[in-house]
Amino acid sequence: MRIVVCSPQVPFARGGAELLAENLTAELRRRDHDVDLVTMPLKWYPGTRVLTSALLWRLADLREADGRPIERVIATKFPSYAVRHPNKVVWLVHQFRQAYELDGTELGQFGPDPVDRATRRAVHRLDDAALGEARALFAISQNVANRLRTFNGLEAEVLAPPPPELDYRFEENGRFVLSVGRLDRAKRVDLLLRAAAADTSFEVVVAGDGADRGRLEGLARELGLDGRVRFVGRVDDQELARLYATCLAVYYAPVDEDFGFVPYEAFLSEKTVVTTRDAGGPLEIVSDGKTGLVCEPEPAAIAEALSWLGAHSDEARAWARSGKELAERVTWDAVIDRLLGA
Amino acid sequence: MKVAYFSPMPPERTGIADYSGLLAPALGERVDVQVVRRGARRVPRGTDVALYHVGNNAEAHGWIIRALRRNRGVVVLHDFVLHHLIAGLTIARGDTDGYLDAMQRDSGVVGRLIAHGVVDGLLPPVWETRPHEFPLVHSVLDYADGVIVHSRYVEDELRARGFNRPVWRVPMPTWPAPEIEPLSLPREADVVIGCFGNLNPAKRLPQLLRAFADVRSRHPEALLVLAGGILSRHELDLHVTESGLRLDESVLHLGYVEENDIWPLLAACDVLVSLRFPTMGETSGSVVRTLAVGRPLVVSDVGWFSELPDAVAAKVPVDDREVGTLSAFLDLLVSDSALRERMGNAARELAVREHALDHVVDRYVAALEEAAGREEVQSAVYGDVARAAVETGLDGRSRELDDVAASMRELGL
Repeated sequence: MRIVVCSPQVPFARGGAELLAENLTAELRRRDHDVDLVTMPLKWYPGTRVLTSALLWRLADLREADGRPIERVIATKFPSYAVRHPNKVVWLVHQFRQAYELDGTELGQFGPDPVDRATRRAVHRLDDAALGEARALFAISQNVANRLRTFNGLEAEVLAPPPPELDYRFEENGRFVLSVGRLDRAKRVDLLLRAAAADTSFEVVVAGDGADRGRLEGLARELGLDGRVRFVGRVDDQELARLYATCLAVYYAPVDEDFGFVPYEAFLSEKTVVTTRDAGGPLEIVSDGKTGLVCEPEPAAIAEALSWLGAHSDEARAWARSGKELAERVTWDAVIDRLLGA
Repeated sequence: MKVAYFSPMPPERTGIADYSGLLAPALGERVDVQVVRRGARRVPRGTDVALYHVGNNAEAHGWIIRALRRNRGVVVLHDFVLHHLIAGLTIARGDTDGYLDAMQRDSGVVGRLIAHGVVDGLLPPVWETRPHEFPLVHSVLDYADGVIVHSRYVEDELRARGFNRPVWRVPMPTWPAPEIEPLSLPREADVVIGCFGNLNPAKRLPQLLRAFADVRSRHPEALLVLAGGILSRHELDLHVTESGLRLDESVLHLGYVEENDIWPLLAACDVLVSLRFPTMGETSGSVVRTLAVGRPLVVSDVGWFSELPDAVAAKVPVDDREVGTLSAFLDLLVSDSALRERMGNAARELAVREHALDHVVDRYVAALEEAAGREEVQSAVYGDVARAAVETGLDGRSRELDDVAASMRELGL
């Protein structure tokens, strides 16, 4: 089948959504489909720019290329699903969350003035149209599907993405807690730093880069964590696998996250995960006392959880193995069957 | 956001006044609502968006139309057919040109010619004979930045007439059903069938009476209660007698019912009938109240009424077999209390799910927010497109820009 995978691109930014689109493209190709990944830049400020970005996707004619028909497009994330195609399938990573559940919070973007309000509503209308016309709607997590139902009245089937290929392995339960991911405020790495300040029994390694890095490094200095926290930046796959294999546990507590590969990667490395009750998508695989620890989004609670894991390595390993069983059930064969069968 | 709210308000005796009496205070908890005094033609200073409630009645809504024509805004279209309203604002006040223009805007030269026939007394008044064929809705739409409707039926009608600005479908809100004792009726009955609202010819009273007479021949314990104003007592007597029924025995007429008495009366009914033809694209406050109290409905299969789920309403097609179908539905509901209970429960659930006041207010806020800043948002996107077009040498006649415009429409921009 001739397929185009659509994904927006914020230049120089890279996270789970980009990885998902690349992996989907690679897996389709591996199954002998003629497939290409199409991206366009996304800019979200000033607010109305998101609408112009969506319009660009709408104007892209992906019904054919070089005189040959494109039989299916698979759109992933706002605003790539604005693309027009008779066989458009959406595997929704997330909508423009600032226009939805983040509105009115410190992570929101739109203020109270009429233009901001109207821009937000225009995003809703656009989503109603662009997602409503899709041949089939899938969501990467129940959390994303629930938002779609709540805000747009649309139903989506949950189709969790398999984690990226890595040399997953267990080597040892080290002394450090690992945080992996893009560094922005919504990932709440600051909670982990404050937990480390409250409890000296563990160290912290922060892998990833992003706009919040400077603030986090300043906070670490301010908290006197020099020497106990290492910001290692973006690491290659080999190093990432080594960090997972040798850490004590993995911390992953974003605010109402869409999905998150990190818990899957941790489980496949037989490491357990500490998350928070408001983390969203991760709670679909991290169960308190079964595959990890789920605590309040407070430094003290996180510190207590991490300290407990340090003292109970057998339980931690058993939970991680339970998580591994769940993670291993999520396969590309199942995902691609659904995306192409719809 | 400051909203100028134009509507009849209680104590005016109209369904739209009742509606606004419920909605305006609830909306005021979310946005700054300023209810404009009756007769005002200007929007208050600092208004972000004006909201005009329009129904098919010149006495109640004439001043609102005059204000709308001075200041565009969002229109809540409670009726799709506005012929009475527009005729009342034009020909009834000696403005024959205004009526001719409205008919031409609606139906072109044919409309204008028919209007001439009416003005010259050669044709019967259209508003009495076939207003639904000439809804005259453009007289309002031309000034609307967007329209709030209560049904898909009206939305489709607007689109079919080429209205291309935003349309928001917002369900009619339910009045919270109070905990009340059923009204004690002056006649004992095992099963009470109610019919509420003004009993004008569109309510198909003769058909209802004939069907009920048929039901009563098998269920002599059934009672029909008519609650609402009538054109004349004589006419009602005639219809009842023609059906072989007797007023005050098998049929009770209670006249206009005050708001406070509606709920106990609804609670005293086991089945509610709401027939309509032709439809003016209206919704029915009594039907929505019926949902809230959880009673089964029998309605005409037209307009908004067709959109009610089958689980809550039996729908009677308006055709040659209308009386027979209606009679069969009523017979079934009178005989089967379990069916009545199932449909009543489904009605109550629908009222909570779709017609709850907070849900309706959410939808209003969404519509008003979109309308208040829409022009500037559009300008910003147009600006981006126009700059790109100019920089790449495209002019306004380029076919590529047609695609841009079509894409923007598809995305609701």
